[in-house]
Amino acid sequence: MEGLITEIERFALSDGPGIRTAVFFKGCNMQCRWCHNPETIKAGKDLLYYASKCIGCYKCVYACPSKAQKRINNVHIYYPNICVKCGKCAALCYAGAMALCGKKYTVDDVMREIVQDKAYYVSSGGGVTLTGGEVLCQPDFVKELTDACHKENISVGIETNLNFPWESIKSVIDAVDLVMCDIKLIDSDEHKKWTGVGNEAILENVRRIAQTGKPFIVRTPLIPGATDSAENIGGIAKFLADVDESGTMMYYELLNFNPLGATKYAALSRKNEFADAKPLPKTRVRELKSIAEATGVKTKTE
Amino acid sequence: MGKIQFINEFDEKEEFTLDKRIKLLKKRKLEQTQEKIDMEGGLDEDDYGRVVQPDDFVFECVPTNDNGSYYGYEGWRTNYCKLLDEHPLYCDPLDAFVGRGFFFMTRRKGDIWNPDMPYTELKKAFDRYNIVCGIGSDGHFTPDLRMGFEMGWGGILEKLKKYQKINSGEEHRLFYESEIMVVEHIIKFLHRISGEIAELADEERNPYLKQNLKDMAVCNERMAENPPETMRECIQWMCWFSFFSRLYNRGPSGGQLDELLRPFYEHDIEAGIIDDELAKFYIACLFLNDTRYYQLAGPDDNGNDMASHISYLILEAADWINIACNLTVRVHDNMNEDFFKKSVGYLFKNKNAWPRFSGDNSLVDGFMRLGYDKNLARHRLAAGCSWMSIPGMEYTLNDLVKINVAKVFEVAYYEMMESGEEPSTELLWEYFEKHLKVAVSTTAEGILFHLHNQDKNEPELICNLLSQGPVEMGADVTKSAKYFNMCMDGAGIGTVADSFAACEQRIEKEHKITWEALTRQMELNWNDIDGEYIRQMMLHSERYCGGETLGDKWAVRISKLFSRLVREQVPVIRAQDPSYPEIQFIPGWFSWSNTLEFGSHVRATPNGRRNGEAINHGANPTYGFRKDGAVTAMANSIASIQPFYGNCAPVQLELDPGIADTPEGVEKMVAMIRTILETGNTLLNINIIDKHKVLEAHKDPSKFPDLVVRVTGFTAYFSMLSPEFRQLVVDRILAVNGEDAELPDIVPSTK
Repeated sequence: MEGLITEIERFALSDGPGIRTAVFFKGCNMQCRWCHNPETIKAGKDLLYYASKCIGCYKCVYACPSKAQKRINNVHIYYPNICVKCGKCAALCYAGAMALCGKKYTVDDVMREIVQDKAYYVSSGGGVTLTGGEVLCQPDFVKELTDACHKENISVGIETNLNFPWESIKSVIDAVDLVMCDIKLIDSDEHKKWTGVGNEAILENVRRIAQTGKPFIVRTPLIPGATDSAENIGGIAKFLADVDESGTMMYYELLNFNPLGATKYAALSRKNEFADAKPLPKTRVRELKSIAEATGVKTKTE
Repeated sequence: MGKIQFINEFDEKEEFTLDKRIKLLKKRKLEQTQEKIDMEGGLDEDDYGRVVQPDDFVFECVPTNDNGSYYGYEGWRTNYCKLLDEHPLYCDPLDAFVGRGFFFMTRRKGDIWNPDMPYTELKKAFDRYNIVCGIGSDGHFTPDLRMGFEMGWGGILEKLKKYQKINSGEEHRLFYESEIMVVEHIIKFLHRISGEIAELADEERNPYLKQNLKDMAVCNERMAENPPETMRECIQWMCWFSFFSRLYNRGPSGGQLDELLRPFYEHDIEAGIIDDELAKFYIACLFLNDTRYYQLAGPDDNGNDMASHISYLILEAADWINIACNLTVRVHDNMNEDFFKKSVGYLFKNKNAWPRFSGDNSLVDGFMRLGYDKNLARHRLAAGCSWMSIPGMEYTLNDLVKINVAKVFEVAYYEMMESGEEPSTELLWEYFEKHLKVAVSTTAEGILFHLHNQDKNEPELICNLLSQGPVEMGADVTKSAKYFNMCMDGAGIGTVADSFAACEQRIEKEHKITWEALTRQMELNWNDIDGEYIRQMMLHSERYCGGETLGDKWAVRISKLFSRLVREQVPVIRAQDPSYPEIQFIPGWFSWSNTLEFGSHVRATPNGRRNGEAINHGANPTYGFRKDGAVTAMANSIASIQPFYGNCAPVQLELDPGIADTPEGVEKMVAMIRTILETGNTLLNINIIDKHKVLEAHKDPSKFPDLVVRVTGFTAYFSMLSPEFRQLVVDRILAVNGEDAELPDIVPSTK
């Protein structure tokens, strides 16, 4: 079995407890308008173009079967609209100006990277985080990879949007050791406005996870003008206070807006709606944290 | 410029606290650092606590050689004693101690090697392989300060005179005459200094500072001849030993600081003459006096942690003064967890590159492979940039002998290409082994030459006094040390491993280029048609520290070869020269700050490196080794190339401060540091640097006068480094923040 992966990042410190390896899955069933990793949305290959890395060798021009790469007046021009993302240019582009995103990995391929840091997972209480994209879009690969990690006594967490019918994800949730999920907006209409889908299934799945006794972490990205209202954070926190009767939620985490994904929108020739947005001031993050904590929910910020 | 006495700087009524004094002393320290930059320019080395010499002090040496320099016992003792007689007193009434110096004699004397003892044949090989041979180098071993604490200068003089009578032969005459002359001048110097401090006390108008100067004068008068009894006397003794040894030849390292100070601290507490605040003040002033390397914690003879209350006070004192402190915490199985966590906390809190961490298991197990017992191995302390040393027992040339394996590779590569044989990585390996063998054996011969002749060049007149052997045997430490554990470091393993890997991958596996075409590009420094394209292709081959890559495979092979060749020299040299029947040669991987210099001697290499570019730093990878710059991948690979004989291949990390700005983040770093050292590594240097800050400081260093970085093993003020070296530090920091720090490919955390 193979999974479509964009990156395997070792020494990941922001993707769950301890020192971890983060495996980024490609393909997502939501369309969050602020997505920080836009190259992971499409369930197929993408080509990223970093003009600043181009050395002007023009190997791509000769390699491209669809004429999407051209040399005009000794300037390299890339036409993403006619590009078929075959990756022939990227295979020749050692400078990294053309980068193919999305590669098929077997479980063994991924495990070869993962096991190298086993000593660090053990000492730090870390492990592997399967993230994306949306990992549950590739549930069979997730299960197989989780089994392989467990055979090596490596803990597995997933980062998921939980936007699935419970029955279709239950077996994966049962298999992994930790679930990290997002509740981005408590109001379903707002959720649909910003992500393309309502939040009913997500909230229901959080309720169900809370009932399983499985450790879980809930996160909200603080997106200026979208998710950062007191009402939204207070509402999510209240929901969590109500559902976490057994106390298995490790904490609720507020993640400040991260503008670093902007370069990738440019590389994908995609419009970035949040190009001018900035992280919230620390004082505002602290205010929102206080609002969440007022509901009795243990809340963390980065 | 070069103001060295600060009397009547404050009003009569000015009041002081210890905290106020520390703040004022630190302010002065930063001003002095700027003064050094203004007067001396960029210096790619340790701070040493030196100050700029006053305008009216000029030392003129007495040459003993036609080249204008001086050598041997007579040359050194004459000039050193003259300098002691002339050296003015640096005295700051805010400080608890005196003992600051201006320069090292070795830097003011011209050629360091006596031209009457040439080594022409050896030099040919040294030049061919770009070897730093160590001939004529000094220090880099650790005297035992406890010997000084027990005897004082008066006791040392008595000991010399006692053994002078026992070893009355002519072959010992120069040694004893010289050492006695030096110690008598030290005692005379200290008497003069204490008198001058008393005069300054009379002059000082502020009563608080006047009293401090009076106490200082009494302390120094006692330290002229007597052994120290109190903590203040002990540290004053250490400051002076630093001064005397630095003045002579830059001097040695410190030792196990907590255990050195503990008896005096406990004495003072029991006597009711000190409290923890005052103890910390004294220790902070010690750090101000000199940036000497000290070890904290580590196992005692029973394996229990030596961390004690004073170990905590030392950390707190370093936090208080927060300047360049070369403290190393030794991490071991029975580590005091609380102390360990506290030390990691300070690293991230202050972001001043202290402490660093050494790995007891790898160091001890490795050193025991030489046949030494466990307790002796445990006494081998972190003592320098990359090195360990047993106080008072070893002569080592640590960090002074380096073979540029990138240059050896270059010689091998071009010989293969000119041989007419069918080139291949295996044939290249044969040529590489042949030349590395010559480089190593010549280096061993060079070390032997140094041991035989260094006393006629530059005897260790100061460090001899606190070593086991020299005084008792009447000979310089180069002939009388208890153990001769001679260091032989390689430099450039990353450059060479990546070069082998690039050839294997692109030429032999993928057939993307031929040996001939690659050679042509290298000869043209990648300036031929498609040169940059081919350079990028070679550059992005599977690198060392990538994680089970071709580069990693070659690095392990290179390290094993190097270790084998170095160790093979032991029986050869022992058989060749019975003067050193138990001599050892110990392999390590460390470049110190020679990366630029070494690189300047090496033409373009197959890993995409251009003519003259720096080689990799120490055991660290070349820049861009992994897209994610994963610390774990790097540490695993460096662990895999440890020579494992007790010397180091250090891990140098550059981390962003954001990764440990929460208690959870600090916990992760504690786990990371422990794991790095438990998986085979020996020494871990960490810089905590905000890349934006360092980029800004690189543009205008004067904006960040207090920014301290761990450059290689040593720490330095960033502003004091040369532009080239600042660039190297910047490159390293960007390298582990991802391939292109400005363009992260994956944003962690939420989607």
